[in-house]
Amino acid sequence: MSSTNNSTNVYGGDEINAVVLDPGSYNTRLGYAGDDFPKVVVSSYYGIHENGNNKKNNKKLFGESIGVPRSNFDIKPIMKDSEIIDWDAATEQYSYYFNSILKIDFKEQPILITEPVWTDNKYRQKFVETFYETFSFPALYLAKAPTCVSFQQGRPNCLVVDLGHDSVSVTPVIDGICLLKNSMKTNYGGRFLDDQIKDLIKSKENLKVEGTYKIKSKTPVIYPNEAKYELRDLPENITESFDEFQKNKIWHEFKESVLEVPDRKLTTLNPKQAQSLKEFYSQDTYKRLFEFPTGQSLELGRERFELAESIFDPQITKFNDESLSKKYPPNSGELSIKSKYDDYRPLKRIRKAESNQSTPQPGNEETSESKSEVRGLSKLITHTLSSIDIDLRASVAHNIIVTGGVSLIPQLTERLYNELSNSNPGLKIRLHAVGNSSERVNQAWIGGSVLASLGTFHQMWVSKEEYEEAGPERILNQRFR
Amino acid sequence: MSANDVLDVLNISRDDQKGPAKKRQKTSTPVPRQTGMARELYNLLGPNTPPVNLTNTSNVSSKDKIKFKVSPWTRMPFNPNKGKKTGHEIILNHWVKGSQELLEQEDKDKPYFFEKFDVKLDIPQLVDEETFDAYMEEIRDHQKKVLLDRKQREKEKKVQEARERERRDKEKQKALEQAKSAEKSQEKSEEKKSEEKGSQEKSTGDKSTDKSNSDDKEGEEAGDKEGDEKEAEGEEAEAEGEAEAKAKEAEADKEDEDDEEYLSEPWTYEETKYLFELCNSFELKWPIIYDRYNYGTDRSPEDLREQFYTLCIKILDSQENKNTALIDSLRAYSKYRELDRKQYLENLLKRTPAEIAEEESLVIEARRFEMAAKKMLIERSHLLTLLDSPQSTQQVQQYLSSQGITNLYNHLMILDKNQKKRQLQQQQKSPNGNQEPIPPPIPVAASSSFKKDKSFQTHLQQYLAGVLKQNQNTTPASRQEANAIQQLLMKRLTQKEEEAYGLYFHGSEKLTPGVTLRSNQRLPGLQQKSSVLKSVNQVLQELDIPTAGGTNWKPVMPTRKTMTMYDELLKSVVALLELKKGKDKLESEITLIKSQRGLE
Repeated sequence: MSSTNNSTNVYGGDEINAVVLDPGSYNTRLGYAGDDFPKVVVSSYYGIHENGNNKKNNKKLFGESIGVPRSNFDIKPIMKDSEIIDWDAATEQYSYYFNSILKIDFKEQPILITEPVWTDNKYRQKFVETFYETFSFPALYLAKAPTCVSFQQGRPNCLVVDLGHDSVSVTPVIDGICLLKNSMKTNYGGRFLDDQIKDLIKSKENLKVEGTYKIKSKTPVIYPNEAKYELRDLPENITESFDEFQKNKIWHEFKESVLEVPDRKLTTLNPKQAQSLKEFYSQDTYKRLFEFPTGQSLELGRERFELAESIFDPQITKFNDESLSKKYPPNSGELSIKSKYDDYRPLKRIRKAESNQSTPQPGNEETSESKSEVRGLSKLITHTLSSIDIDLRASVAHNIIVTGGVSLIPQLTERLYNELSNSNPGLKIRLHAVGNSSERVNQAWIGGSVLASLGTFHQMWVSKEEYEEAGPERILNQRFR
Repeated sequence: MSANDVLDVLNISRDDQKGPAKKRQKTSTPVPRQTGMARELYNLLGPNTPPVNLTNTSNVSSKDKIKFKVSPWTRMPFNPNKGKKTGHEIILNHWVKGSQELLEQEDKDKPYFFEKFDVKLDIPQLVDEETFDAYMEEIRDHQKKVLLDRKQREKEKKVQEARERERRDKEKQKALEQAKSAEKSQEKSEEKKSEEKGSQEKSTGDKSTDKSNSDDKEGEEAGDKEGDEKEAEGEEAEAEGEAEAKAKEAEADKEDEDDEEYLSEPWTYEETKYLFELCNSFELKWPIIYDRYNYGTDRSPEDLREQFYTLCIKILDSQENKNTALIDSLRAYSKYRELDRKQYLENLLKRTPAEIAEEESLVIEARRFEMAAKKMLIERSHLLTLLDSPQSTQQVQQYLSSQGITNLYNHLMILDKNQKKRQLQQQQKSPNGNQEPIPPPIPVAASSSFKKDKSFQTHLQQYLAGVLKQNQNTTPASRQEANAIQQLLMKRLTQKEEEAYGLYFHGSEKLTPGVTLRSNQRLPGLQQKSSVLKSVNQVLQELDIPTAGGTNWKPVMPTRKTMTMYDELLKSVVALLELKKGKDKLESEITLIKSQRGLE
């Protein structure tokens, strides 16, 4: 007998207090299924005291406490591209939050974890095994993040466009299942913008940038003037990684508050037009001020559009810093999904796949250079659309879900809509972007929360026994699909 | 003094005998609060119980509810995979309504509530390897046959196309030759013109090839490639036919190879097994099956489907109780048709915005034509209604006087107004919604089939037909109402039937407006002096003819027949009385004269 026996026609929920974990490259989200927001949103970085020999002091710190300046205190990332790179820190972080914040009863509460589509089986296997070993959850489920987003929106057939911190991904979802072969991913996301901002600020002479933690007092001035501020007394040996982490926060804030997507393409071959565009966006009405922690305010006009334009046209960016431009090699967004049969996959298949995909509207010119092509956001989506089965294309194009923090940059969805409609005249494009900003940032978690509180979903949980019995291969591909 | 005391005094007993005892009880129990009525008003009722029960029922039930115990909810462990054979035990906890003991008792034999939603598709089991090989052999043979058929058809098509092309080329060459000859024979000034002509013809030729190209795209597959080729050929109108033919052959050879490729990469048993497994776990969602298909062979989604379907046909066919409808639906799948269909869709999506706009404008134009045609029909019917002359029901002599002419004029004006109203109504109707304008029915009188002979109709029917025709022009609601009567009247009724239906034609008789009872009818026979009426009454009483009694001069049952008869009777009685009066007068006169003359 279920608690919802009488009204199952409308309500298919069955709360079992599951835990939902959505690790992202910038923030990690944790909470109970059935909630509308995660209980904990925590930075995917951790702090550690580098005390050499003394192992006891090597305690890892998470969350808010990593923002406190300490001597010999390093800040390190846990995630990259939504994949865990530091397993020890990850498990420690999760267990810290499971035990002391969420106070989970491991015996009773299963856990649902989101994962990106580009993870390979090796990683997934390690992930699942680590979880079974470290924590004693009765059951576990790995859900693909785009699937969760589609559940959050209640659209079984959709195209999930996730503009994250490390990566921008486009994934078609059919009947709630991600199409891996048609998924695309580039790294022209939030970090790419942060790095451009850093590069831009560096190029400004006389612009002092210090982490907020250093500043004791400041007097506001406008940029070309000298900064006037006093420094705080700080513990010795502040590490470089800590300072970097603090500065990244400034770039992040800058990105959130200043950037705006221009309503048309900024690069044109026509020099006259380019000039007029330049002038148009240099108008005073488009200028915004940003105050740095040192009290200096920088006024930007055209630049803030150019920075945001790089989401659509990554090639527009020219880093002054060599190391930065190396960090972002041209990326066409193709994913290589690995499988057990990868080793003897004939070469022909790749060629064929390429030629199959090369049916986008613009024609044949583009396909010849598709290998080295750099795909901005709209090109990425158009390419994905043209690669999926023709029968699905219309319904998918009508349900494009835009999610992720970077999508909150003003005017982004409008511009995206215009570009997509222009490049896909035969399709009816419709974008769905949640209005609530915190909902859009946590969309995958919320979807996971929906999923894990459904009565029908509870038959999908995989216990440790089943995992061991059926083997990772079968579980990973047949169950966690 | 209460109402009860009064009753007591009057010795009237109420229903219940124990009145006073009950009264005391009542005072002790709090009177339920009345709702829906002012308290003062309620008090005025006294002990008289109101006919309607005014006690608030919801009040009572809520009190009762409070007495109920709080229903218990228990946190119960459950296993969502309980009912499944393969499911592993996972113990989860959720809250369930009911006490623990009860639930534990129930729990033993009940499956998880949501388990019924876990539905599996019924997919045929893959056969063993030997039968599989046999099946595959058959399937391959069949495919080869299909492929050959296809090739044959394609070849035929190509030959036809080539013939057409040659013909077109010849025409073009002719045109060119003509132009050349014109060049020679005519002067230089004209030369230019002819050249222009030639080029014009050429361009029209190009256009025609373009047209055929587009036809190809719509009609047949491989339109793109050949279309391009043809275009190129069209431009090089002078190109030799031989080289072309060679190119064609080469092309055909190439396609043969392509076809061979279709059949290559045979399915192994292992791969098919893999496919069936995927089909099972992804419930025949083909896009997903194709997405997860990673066997290392190069297969298109259509390949996968074809293999699965053809094998399923074989497997199902070999079963004892086979579902022929299912097999037939599986047979309907054709890989080539599917590919063609996708190609068309692809082309449809590939249209440029300009093409889409053009198509839309064409559709709009077509619609406009349709609208115009309909409008014309409407106008025509209007014209016909104008020509429709009002049917005269009376004789011409009636219109000869000046009053008759004004009557006629008024009548015509009303008809005209009605027509205009009808037109307006239709115009109003057409813009709301996308209802297509319907040409109004051609008036009955204007149509040739309308027979004007009315000899069969009675006088009444002729008159009514005229009235009804007017009614047609009024609102549709009244028209519908009138329909039943109208239908009745349109029938040719005999006199007897008319009587049976109570139909009567008043003719020139003056009627008072509104409804009157026949019993109040003023009979014409009663328009006499009161002295005369008195004597009439006397006569009637003498004759024992029943009147309504007293001064009322009506028969008891005033039907039309009795009324007319009664009227006649009255008239004849009056006439009789008058005759008697005259006779008396004459008789007295005779006696007077006789006495004067002294005859007696």
